[in-house]
Amino acid sequence: MAGIFDRSDPPFDRLTDDEAAALEAALDIGYFRPGEIVIAQGRPAEALCIVIKGAVEERDGDETVALLGPKDCFDSRALVQGEAAHGFVAREETLCHMLPREIALRLIRDNPRFAAFFYLALSQKLDAIAREDEAGSAGTLMQARVSDLRLHPASFIGSDATIEQAGHLMRAIDSNALFVRDGARTGVITGMNLSKAVVLTRQPISAPVGRLAHYDVVSVRPDDFVYAALILMTKTNKRRVAVHDGSDYVGFLEDIELLSFLSGNAQLVAGRIDRAAGLPDLAAAARQIEEQVRLLRRQGVKVEVIAEIVSDLNRRLFARTFALTAPAEIQTQGCLIVMGSEGRGEQTMRTDQDNALILRAPADPAALDAFRRDFTAALEGFGFPPCPGEVMVRNPVWSRTLEEYRAAFRQWAAIPDETAHMNVAIFYDASAVAGDASLLDAAKAALAEDLGIGGEAGRGSAYMAHFARATEAFPMPIGFFNNLLTPDGQGDAVDLKKGGIFPIVHGVRSLALERGLTETGTAARIERLAERGAFSPAFARDLTQSLFLLMTMRLDAQLGAIKGALVRPADLSSVERDLLREAFHVVKQFREIVRRHFNLGMF
Amino acid sequence: MAAGIPARLLPAGLRRRLGRARLRDPAYGFLFEPGPENEAVSFDCETTGLDPRRDDIVALAALRIRGNRLLTSERFQAVVRPQAAMARQAIRVHGLREADVVEGRRIEDVVPEFLRFVGGRTLVGYYLEFDVRMIDKTLRPLLGIGLPNPCVEVSALYYDRKYGDAPAGATIDLSFAAILRDLDIPALDRHDAFNDALMTAMMYLKLRDLKDRGIRIRRDGHPADRHMPMG
Repeated sequence: MAGIFDRSDPPFDRLTDDEAAALEAALDIGYFRPGEIVIAQGRPAEALCIVIKGAVEERDGDETVALLGPKDCFDSRALVQGEAAHGFVAREETLCHMLPREIALRLIRDNPRFAAFFYLALSQKLDAIAREDEAGSAGTLMQARVSDLRLHPASFIGSDATIEQAGHLMRAIDSNALFVRDGARTGVITGMNLSKAVVLTRQPISAPVGRLAHYDVVSVRPDDFVYAALILMTKTNKRRVAVHDGSDYVGFLEDIELLSFLSGNAQLVAGRIDRAAGLPDLAAAARQIEEQVRLLRRQGVKVEVIAEIVSDLNRRLFARTFALTAPAEIQTQGCLIVMGSEGRGEQTMRTDQDNALILRAPADPAALDAFRRDFTAALEGFGFPPCPGEVMVRNPVWSRTLEEYRAAFRQWAAIPDETAHMNVAIFYDASAVAGDASLLDAAKAALAEDLGIGGEAGRGSAYMAHFARATEAFPMPIGFFNNLLTPDGQGDAVDLKKGGIFPIVHGVRSLALERGLTETGTAARIERLAERGAFSPAFARDLTQSLFLLMTMRLDAQLGAIKGALVRPADLSSVERDLLREAFHVVKQFREIVRRHFNLGMF
Repeated sequence: MAAGIPARLLPAGLRRRLGRARLRDPAYGFLFEPGPENEAVSFDCETTGLDPRRDDIVALAALRIRGNRLLTSERFQAVVRPQAAMARQAIRVHGLREADVVEGRRIEDVVPEFLRFVGGRTLVGYYLEFDVRMIDKTLRPLLGIGLPNPCVEVSALYYDRKYGDAPAGATIDLSFAAILRDLDIPALDRHDAFNDALMTAMMYLKLRDLKDRGIRIRRDGHPADRHMPMG
């Protein structure tokens, strides 16, 4: 019979039956009225609390740093460390399970998997969960249906068509198999059947295919599970099976598609981009990049790896587009760059275009104008929306000579308004995609010089302080935690980008720019900053993992067809909420580091 | 004296004195000592039917309330073998069949243990009178008295918080489900003696707190100041 304590909720699902029974036997229930202190800041905690109903604020002094709702646990740090770093106060009438300290510590001591949930630094915790995710990813993969895969569309040919006609049709539709209509029955003929007939049995190419086809067609239905198709292929030793939707054949499933589905097929997409003969070919490949994201994520690939693969594919696509649209003069005398998240290699789902062209010397105006127009339009045609701020090649401000950029840099330095800061930020993140990469290096060096940073200590510090301020542009998303309070969990969703991703990216960018680092990726910058002593290696790990966690949740939200970077607390498991809370803790600490470093308190 | 007047209608002090005088076994004198300060016991019985004269207890559960804590770790729980046949209706309610209670203990053994668990503490329950009468049925032949403990009826606390100022003719719903809903208490599987005692105890804590803070339950379903900012 269901009691009030649910031992299937993480992390209690990691306990053995005996341990769970011991835990339940030791639980009491506490009732707290609004405003009542559950655990006082700086005092030892006598119990581990698990919220049953209500809401508890986690407070640091007067500041609310988090809000806890049903199934949330607190405060393991206080249990382990002896005193509570934060205070916990009931926000509304709240019921909590209270697990006595000794019992909780004994379970933590005896059960490492249980302990992992409470003890470990965020990065280790995430690793532990990632391992479980990976173990589970075969499971989700196995839930995929045949219709999720790329199928070769069905093409039909009459039984009296000739071997020659069949061969031409196969080549025209880029398929190795056709369906053969022979009266009421339908068969299949493959390229191999045609070759064997001609080469081995010396049939004329005018022979009808009806006699060569086989009619014992092995088929699956679109809503069959992928694993069923895989088993069927193995059993029947077929390299392809027909797909039949109940009324007719709709296509073929080839083993190559199945294998690439199982392993991801980024290489295939890369090959298609590199081989593309024209923009239409590229458009088809561009569509497949988007599919890769979904595929890779479903396979449990980590977000940083997905970002790397997607950035690589996008850059290939841009480079190929550049090669197809830019006149020779621009290709050799220019450098195509991508900026912002694309430049940092942190893009997963497609965002607005952020690209530019740096020229060594003035190009022929007419040819340049044509290129500007064609390049941006081509990308738009591939599904990269135009940048609302016009940070694109088609804007002459973002496709000009190094000298002209230099003049702009001086202006950004002289009039450090918001636009100037944004321009510095996206340009500092730029990566060269095609053409002469040394132009970008020269431009970045010039930018640092004009801003007076990256050189001797002290110079440019006022500029950098203004630049870094944006790290504090958005309040911490305490609103997120408030949403746990709404009874149906349907309150406003939290913006992971503003609340977490942006402060990390921009804070790291500020610290990196000040030191003149040349890395563009945020994770690489964090690592280098730790080497330079900006913060400890342990904090660097937590910061990187927090960024990846936020990116992962954002990506999952985007894949879940929710617009933008919003996540609804109700859609998260209690483990995810717990991780998110910890990630926001790290973001908060990091903002503090940035604030102190740039003395932002003076504003 | 006072022969023929049911003891529960007497003033509490008088009733206790009377009970103490009637108590046959002085070993149970503790029932008349005041319990530990700030403690109470929530309890619930499952029975063979709804007639206290004919039906018997089949399950009994209780838990102590200390201040704002529910001491679920020190619960009292017993399955009892009834003498009365189980009414089919009752089996449907609590799910305990004849076969489930045949291994149960004798009520004469369970009640003294229950009394020691309760001591002189206040009893808390939902339609408590029924449960008290079921206990008294065993107690009277044993000790010559009924339960002397002060009693708190949660449906009465609830009535006071919700309908105390209701206009005449208001529709009044004192059902267990309505109280759970209004107080936002987790709905556990019902008619398990322990779950019922636990939910009742949670109702008690919350109602007592609402009373202390002078908060009424809105008759559209929420405590009246639920959305007020707190100090």
